[in-house]
Amino acid sequence: MQRKSARMLYEAAQRKALPAGGVNDCSQEATQPLLNVQNLSIRFDGAPAGVNVVDDVSLSVSRGRTLCIVGESGCGKSVTSLALMGLLTTPPARIVGGSAFFDGRDLLSLPEHERANLRGNRMAMIFQEPMTSLNPAFTIGDQIAEGIIRHRKVSKPEALERALDMLRKVRIPAPEKRLHAYPHEMSGGMRQRVMIAMALGNDPQLLIADEPTTALDVTIQAQILTLIRRLQEETGTAMILITHDLGVVAEVADEVAVMYAGRVVESGPVEAIFDNPQHPYTIGLMGSVPSLGRRQGRLATIRGTVPPAELMPKGCRFAPRCPFSDDLCANDPPPLAQIKPGHGARCWYAPLELHRGAG
Amino acid sequence: MSLIPATDIILEGVDLKKHFGGGGLLSSPIIVRAVDGVSLRIRRGETFAVVGESGCGKSTLGRLLLRLIEPTGGDVRFEGRSILSLNKSELRRLRRELQIIFQDPFASLNPRMNVGDIIAEPIWLHNLASGREKRERVADLMATVGLLPTHSDRYPHELSGGQRQRIGIARALAGDPKLIIGDEPVSALDVSIQAQIINLLEDLKDRFGLTLVIVAHDLAVIRHMSDRVAVMYLGEIAEVSDTDALFDDPLHPYTQALLAAIPATSPRNRQPKASLQGDVPNPAAPPSGCRFHTRCPHARALCKEQHPILETAALGRQVACHFWREIQGAGAGSISAPPPTPALARRLELYRIWRERQDKPATTSP
Repeated sequence: MQRKSARMLYEAAQRKALPAGGVNDCSQEATQPLLNVQNLSIRFDGAPAGVNVVDDVSLSVSRGRTLCIVGESGCGKSVTSLALMGLLTTPPARIVGGSAFFDGRDLLSLPEHERANLRGNRMAMIFQEPMTSLNPAFTIGDQIAEGIIRHRKVSKPEALERALDMLRKVRIPAPEKRLHAYPHEMSGGMRQRVMIAMALGNDPQLLIADEPTTALDVTIQAQILTLIRRLQEETGTAMILITHDLGVVAEVADEVAVMYAGRVVESGPVEAIFDNPQHPYTIGLMGSVPSLGRRQGRLATIRGTVPPAELMPKGCRFAPRCPFSDDLCANDPPPLAQIKPGHGARCWYAPLELHRGAG
Repeated sequence: MSLIPATDIILEGVDLKKHFGGGGLLSSPIIVRAVDGVSLRIRRGETFAVVGESGCGKSTLGRLLLRLIEPTGGDVRFEGRSILSLNKSELRRLRRELQIIFQDPFASLNPRMNVGDIIAEPIWLHNLASGREKRERVADLMATVGLLPTHSDRYPHELSGGQRQRIGIARALAGDPKLIIGDEPVSALDVSIQAQIINLLEDLKDRFGLTLVIVAHDLAVIRHMSDRVAVMYLGEIAEVSDTDALFDDPLHPYTQALLAAIPATSPRNRQPKASLQGDVPNPAAPPSGCRFHTRCPHARALCKEQHPILETAALGRQVACHFWREIQGAGAGSISAPPPTPALARRLELYRIWRERQDKPATTSP
């Protein structure tokens, strides 16, 4: 009874929100996005039936724009990015559904040698811990040049010349000297600049950055975020930035996808996510972050922890922790409710004040 | 500072120094002055935060205050008594009263002991209870920190990061401490779990009348939790202040730079950051004069030559800068969060109401 009425309310709200055309995925835009991921699902071998580590994820990012994927450990944000880069190890991870069009080609059906040609070239990636991604036995210059030589017909001196240009571009002081330095001779912030220089060496169209500032101190983080933003203005690269830090999202995102337990629970323009969050998980996250203003009582919290795969509910995966959930949520996965064109939330009861008023 | 009655000071560091290396057969010839002349007074019942970037010496300071490592110079006084001159049994007693919670609870928990035994260990160690009484005490502690009775025979690897941190907290509470130092107690946790642990620490502080010392790098966490803050840079204190005063009106240029580097809280208050240039200098070869002068936007000739002393400013604040009076007028650094939009405020309120309801029927973990 309750289930039925909630569904009817939901459908009525949908009709109101979308005067014509019907329900479109929020990622569809007038311009063709550079990367368009539709309904991507990834499964780990041995996981319980029906529990995909990434489930029905749709994302898109256009040239010159930054999409932030935000979520906590285990939400599938890194697995998604590795799948896009073609870096997933199969087994145990398997892509079991969906498509990922990059500049008109479906990445998921490309043969490995074509993906290798894209990787580090048209699409590049920056990782969280630069020390583990840099080879301690080679100089910075050699490591940047390696990627350039792999994808371009250039000589070693030409590649080193370009490597030097890249070090200048990421504003490393004394770049001529740094070219011959080893990773251990540099600080964390400088190493992260080197990683960015490596990633940008072949003018990629898409840059995926996985927690690029998480390991850095706050003053160094500010330097790197400023650098990333400036470089993007200069080059027009599309960027996917993966982070757990809402501050970083507020600082650099154009669009945001909030992930929880393998699903995108809310997505939209960054202003909409911060000013008008719809999904209870997004709201709970915002309430969990201490404010920088004067103290305003206790923090709101989200109850419990992410359930293990074998206890994942059939319906909304956030239901066991959600203050607003009921039987409908536990049993039926909610569709993406369109709040406004481009802003969607996977919640049966969005907007909450309509369905879950204080009463 | 000198106006505070001595009984209100629970823990005091006096000109504390910790130098690593420097001669010795097996140690490096380079001397790293991790903590170099730090004096501070922690008041009974307050939450005192020590903040700074990696390598500033904040964790070393925390360990010195508990005498987990021996200082190179200076003194630590707990309730007026030097803890450096204590004999073995006195030190044992002190260990009960001063406790620590670590950043990575997994690394500090014995993987071969189950949760119940881990929490019972300090009770046994300090001869506080045995038999049934001990088991009851363990059960009490587990409930206090929000662990379920069923967790008792689990092992640390079976639990999540937040649950492990709860074990660390239960252990720290086992000996009825007066003061707990948290060394980055929430920085390894996800945002939603971090909020749970922050609330738990605040509840426990109220319930048991604890004094908390939080060593952390996250300024938002510090603003939320602490009453007073000490800002450290390269082994020294740059500024000590009431938390609100520090965030409203930072005096030291390093504090100003730290606050300016905090990411925006909303896309609406994005602004270009006049961020600090360069990295923290090598603590083995700190700059002459004021250690911050190599990165300070206000540095002058004097800063290179003369080491600034920690001087007293208004409202019991302390600042170590030659030119803080002039810099203060520049209005740099103060940060403010824009008020939430009506839609956000309404939903946060709604969330709070339903969240409270959620806790009512079954009281498990907050």
